[in-house]
Amino acid sequence: MIAAAAPDKVTPKSLDALRETLGRCDREGLKISIEGGKTLSGMGPVLPRADVSLITTGLSAILAHEYHDLTCSAQSGVRVAQLNAVLGEHGQFVPIDVPLRKKATIGGSLAAGWPGPRRHIYGRARDFVIGSQVALADGTLANAGGMVVKNVSGYDMSKLYIGSFGTLAIFTQLNFKTLPVPKKRRAMIAPLPEATRARAIERIASLVVPPAAAFCVEGFGKNVDGADDIDGRVLLYFEGTEELLERATLDTRSVLGKAGVPETSIVDTGAAESLDRTIDACIANKRGRSITYRLFGSPGTAQERAERMRDACNRHELFTDVLFDVMNGDVFVRASERDASHFGAKIEACHAELRELEPRCSIVACDSAARASFEAWGAVPAAIEKMRAIKARFDPHGTLNPGRFIGGI
Amino acid sequence: MLKQRLIDALGADAVKTEAEDLAVYAFDAYSQGVVPAAVVLPANTREVAAAVKIAKDCGEPIVARGAGTGLCGGAAPARGGIVFSFARMNRVLEVDVRNRRARVQPGLINLDLSKHVAASGLFYAPDPSSQKVSTIGGNIGTNAGGPHCLSYGTTVNHILELEIVDENGDVTTTSVDDVGYDLTGVLVGSEGTLAIVCSAWVRLLRQPETVRVWLAAFDDINAASAAVTGIIGAGIIPTALEMLDRVMLPPIEAAFHAGYPTDAAAVLLIESAGFEDEMNLHENEIRRVMKENGATTWRAAKSQAERDALWAGRKGALGATGRLAPNYYIQDVVVPRTKLPQALKAVEDACAPQGIIAGNVFHAGDGNLHPLLLYDRGDPKQVAAVIEAGNEILKAAVDLGGTISGEHGIGYEKRDTLRRIFSTDDLATMSRVREVFDPRRNLNPEKIFPAGVGCAEVA
Ligand SMILES: Cc1cc2nc3c(=O)[nH]c(=O)nc-3n(C[C@H](O)[C@H](O)[C@@H](O)COP(=O)(O)OP(=O)(O)OC[C@H]3O[C@@H](n4cnc5c(N)ncnc54)[C@H](O)[C@@H]3O)c2cc1C
Ligand SMILES: Cc1cc2nc3c(=O)[nH]c(=O)nc-3n(C[C@H](O)[C@H](O)[C@H](O)COP(=O)(O)OP(=O)(O)OC[C@H]3O[C@@H](n4cnc5c(N)ncnc54)[C@H](O)[C@@H]3O)c2cc1C
Repeated sequence: MIAAAAPDKVTPKSLDALRETLGRCDREGLKISIEGGKTLSGMGPVLPRADVSLITTGLSAILAHEYHDLTCSAQSGVRVAQLNAVLGEHGQFVPIDVPLRKKATIGGSLAAGWPGPRRHIYGRARDFVIGSQVALADGTLANAGGMVVKNVSGYDMSKLYIGSFGTLAIFTQLNFKTLPVPKKRRAMIAPLPEATRARAIERIASLVVPPAAAFCVEGFGKNVDGADDIDGRVLLYFEGTEELLERATLDTRSVLGKAGVPETSIVDTGAAESLDRTIDACIANKRGRSITYRLFGSPGTAQERAERMRDACNRHELFTDVLFDVMNGDVFVRASERDASHFGAKIEACHAELRELEPRCSIVACDSAARASFEAWGAVPAAIEKMRAIKARFDPHGTLNPGRFIGGI
Repeated sequence: MLKQRLIDALGADAVKTEAEDLAVYAFDAYSQGVVPAAVVLPANTREVAAAVKIAKDCGEPIVARGAGTGLCGGAAPARGGIVFSFARMNRVLEVDVRNRRARVQPGLINLDLSKHVAASGLFYAPDPSSQKVSTIGGNIGTNAGGPHCLSYGTTVNHILELEIVDENGDVTTTSVDDVGYDLTGVLVGSEGTLAIVCSAWVRLLRQPETVRVWLAAFDDINAASAAVTGIIGAGIIPTALEMLDRVMLPPIEAAFHAGYPTDAAAVLLIESAGFEDEMNLHENEIRRVMKENGATTWRAAKSQAERDALWAGRKGALGATGRLAPNYYIQDVVVPRTKLPQALKAVEDACAPQGIIAGNVFHAGDGNLHPLLLYDRGDPKQVAAVIEAGNEILKAAVDLGGTISGEHGIGYEKRDTLRRIFSTDDLATMSRVREVFDPRRNLNPEKIFPAGVGCAEVA
């Protein structure tokens, strides 16, 4: 086999330069791989062919923060942490819950469009994007939405690009509505053995003051809180006023107590970091010997789905770390092996079984070797033919991230 | 031929072709379109699909219709064709209390959904003022908003899954949890131009423990605008933040006895929801902001009955205009919140010189204005003046960095105005989605897109 030549790296510093590169590639039949912070490069298949790596981090201007209007606008190569630092000067933020946010770009985050664990209170990424500008495959710029918080003027094109993994267009600019930064934060941690779990999580889901994020975790000790547990624990994260935290703490202790959970510890300093670590854990990869799967679904079935996937991995004698989002139902299961040389054979059979159990689970973190041999995205959605037609209409020459997304789009 | 085929597929009860039955389907709450050739009332998705296939065979355009309360000509057929009424598909199909969601048919009346799930402690958040009449299908069509969308978000934030029939009569589903393109997000607000919605899973919210409603009156409308910015600036996003002005207060009070002061320049109606201690905090903070901005009256509703009365006045505002003039024309524009004073002045400047009285009742927290231009349809001079003033308001909103519709949609009314905010490239990009879903432009033709956009592709 002839090794493919490494793609040319291009980092446009201006819109014109970006458009020029796009136009040229599209005309000459060159395939473009789009790169933001590359924090999500372990998700989805490796591109079958890439002639040019187009790096967006040269588009790095924060264009506006209209803090009285609670809106802002920035170029897509701006890092998530950087945007929030600037908004923070006026006590505001955008709730993009990304791992490695010092590296992750807003364009890459929205292109991935992964809905975060605080979406039940703040909405999905797509709900606080109020406008966008993209460059289409041929270099044409197209705007959608605007700089106001409510807008039904024409199709909401931003929604189509969000979560399209750069296969339809390249984000150049994003406009957001911002939120006031919560005054206080608190994390609560409690052990959660399997016997108490179902009752406890049902009650957490019905708290009058819902946690901003809530996870049930088994394993992931090194990544999340250093705990060396086998039985599992629940991590709750609250944010808001002093009054809110007080009420939340009281109610949480009471419902967990009733569910048979003996003790709950409180972490105030470092609560935000604790949430960050949990989010990072969702895509934490053990070099060459782990695969992490994600499965969306309703919160009421999360525990059952998580346990089913965990048990399957265990049957194949793989170690498992499990994490599920109590409020939104996302399940993460990482299957791993101490010895890399045994991993390959075990995971192959395990992967097949997982796909049988949960056809829609996607691989979200693993090395490229494994991604080359497994279908990364899982079963295609019902409307895949419409999606294919959209890809063909937006990117007729297959210039942008070809083959990156589900069903080969 | 058309009639017989429709009857064979749907039954005689579900097909209307008599002129006197069809006439009303030419209208929505904004305009009169072309009387359709037939109206069908399918009972289920299968019948929708069958009727779409017949329409396609016969070359008839298709217009989906909810309650026809739309304010931009969305449901008024531009070229006749077949109107799909969802009056018989108006049920809640399933409620999943644990996961707080429900599957509903498009003809379900918005308010009926909240009533249906109230006993489970849940409600459906988007609450257009038309919610006693308008349907979930129509709300999805226009991505409807409402007073409570300030904190809960508009319809699109509450739609989880759609079952749709496309222009070929094929049924498919889209879900926000699908890995793939977010078709759900694009379908909501597409005004029946991409597909017909046959059922939807919608998100329900838990009823809050405590709800507070406050009223603040001002003798200067700019002070009321400043107070709006002040609340948000204090880090509080209330669940609703509405403004009513001096023109609207007397007729609303006369009609509803809501308890509004009738001599104020503007009233703010503010609602916050959560738990007791936090509501006390909001109350203190909001009252402080109101006082600082010169509020002349401050009142907290003391009971559910008082809260309901304050809201009844707001939600019934459009109906109360009948006391002022035979007709009203309602505009719908959005400006950045801090530009409210300039926008209100622009409304005044557009209307006063023409002798038109304009009232304002609107979603101040979102910067979403609804100037009500009062006139008499019988007087052609007034009609022309209203149209011109409406255009000036649109222009002013765009000049202030805003947009031409916040919740009513583009429909027929504003399709040419869309060029004021989008370039030809922007519109051609939108048109690519239309070409995928409806290449022959048979679904609600002549809506949203300005005449000419994408036509070259169709020919
Ligand atoms: C648990 C968890 C929660 C998360 N929650 C959220 C959330 O709440 N909100 C949210 O937005 N994200 C969330 N994300 C994450 C997010 O979707 C990605 O992880 C992200 O931040 C990647 O950014 P990046 O710059 O490193 O992108 P990359 O890894 O560089 O790129 C990601 C993909 O986007 C493409 N891409 C990059 N830049 C662009 C561009 N400008 N235009 C078009 N395509 C581009 C790339 O080709 C690639 O396919 C979450 C992730 C996890 C694991
Ligand atoms: C007094 C009054 C107050 C109002 N207040 C508000 C308000 O506060 N907020 C707000 O947003 N609007 C408001 N409106 C406007 C209107 O009520 C909304 O636009 C509403 O969503 C329309 O619902 P409908 O059932 O009447 O739909 P229709 O007017 O019948 O249709 C609206 C659009 O949706 C499409 N459509 C209908 N059903 C389907 C379907 N099943 N599949 C696909 N497309 C479909 C139609 O083709 C049309 O384009 C108000 C109107 C009135 C008269």
